[in-house]
Amino acid sequence: MNCDDLRDSYELFSLGLLEGEERREIEAHLARNCTVCQKYLRDALGVNALMLSQVQEVVPPSRLRRRVMASVGQEPAGWGWVAALAAACSLIVALWLSVEKRTTDHELTTARASLQQTLAERDRLEQAFTFLNQPETRQVNFGQGQPAPPRGNFFLNPRMGVLLIASNLPALPAGKAYEMWVIPKGGAPHPAGLFQSSPQGTAMHILAGAVDSNVTLAVTIEPESGSPAPTSSVLFAGGF
Amino acid sequence: MFARLIPISLALALLQVSLRSKDDGDLSRRLRARDAGAMRELYDRYGRLVYSLILRMVRNSGAAEDLVQETFLRIWNRMQAFDEERGALGPWVLAVARNRAIDYLRSADGKMSVGALELDHLEHPGRFCDFEDRALSLDRARRLKDAFEKLTPHQKTVVELAYYEGLSQTEMAERMQQPLGTVKTWVRSALKVLREQLSEAAAV
Repeated sequence: MNCDDLRDSYELFSLGLLEGEERREIEAHLARNCTVCQKYLRDALGVNALMLSQVQEVVPPSRLRRRVMASVGQEPAGWGWVAALAAACSLIVALWLSVEKRTTDHELTTARASLQQTLAERDRLEQAFTFLNQPETRQVNFGQGQPAPPRGNFFLNPRMGVLLIASNLPALPAGKAYEMWVIPKGGAPHPAGLFQSSPQGTAMHILAGAVDSNVTLAVTIEPESGSPAPTSSVLFAGGF
Repeated sequence: MFARLIPISLALALLQVSLRSKDDGDLSRRLRARDAGAMRELYDRYGRLVYSLILRMVRNSGAAEDLVQETFLRIWNRMQAFDEERGALGPWVLAVARNRAIDYLRSADGKMSVGALELDHLEHPGRFCDFEDRALSLDRARRLKDAFEKLTPHQKTVVELAYYEGLSQTEMAERMQQPLGTVKTWVRSALKVLREQLSEAAAV
């Protein structure tokens, strides 16, 4: 058959409807690159495209675009963006944990320091309580009857040492500290330790160790590094 | 009797996508060059149409999504054989989409009957070249729609079975419980009517 005889067959061929000998005949014509046959097939393919393009339109889900792009390596796959989001979230969590850890470490350090301070304070109070509870401990008051003096008590135990409890202490200048002195009868003052007052003007100071029972105790304000001998006038004193 | 078994549901809508664009050549070149934006552009141009066609054929949204992905992947992988100067992307994309859907329908039915279509040779990119500008025009699409409406019920049925079910003429005859010769007559006459209506329109 010539090309025109096969005119009706090209639509069938383009849809895949030709079988057996009919199909082979069309393929033989096309293989000869006959321009007429090529045009008939082209016309048929054009009609097919027009028919197929007229289906009722349905909007595909948006994820389908991502899937298609991912399949050709153009965009993250459907789960890729989830992984990216998860990675971003992980980074945020890691940063948050890092900050949180630093904060926690800082708080822990502060708490440890506070605990150590509390434990030291407790030890001092226990020491003071023990000191006060001893029968040989003697007490001397100071500051009573004065207009605005520091007030308080010296406690002396010849075996354990001296305990000072004071209030109404004046605020110290910068770089200064209180220093206690043990002054034997007829002797020079011996340094008996430095101490600071609380913001409320109270202080407790302990001199541990045996002390002569006939001494005078005094407190002066000295440089915070301490002085070998008093450099200022006595702030308060008490004699045993 | 078959008319009750096979409802004629081919609802043609107006063509909404240009099957050939002036920038098909440029888009084709970029697709061949693996341009990152070209595939997005191709999908944005034809993705909705391809999905609509495949869903119409397989009537299963999950399967349709798989087949759309397969369609575009096949286009991507065969782009090197497409003639960027003379080719028309739209007809090729639709042919590939139809063939993917027909493959699925056959595999879903678990059958490969005698006389079943052989499709691969129908989607070679080299076949989709040298379309005249008017061949894929919107006006021509309207004419085709009108021509379809003029077909007899039998003719409409076989056209639908051919385009959207991918049945061979032997399978149509079995489905419709009609003699093969009768079905072949309906098919040929229907396609001839469509062609002649378009030719008359072109001659006006």
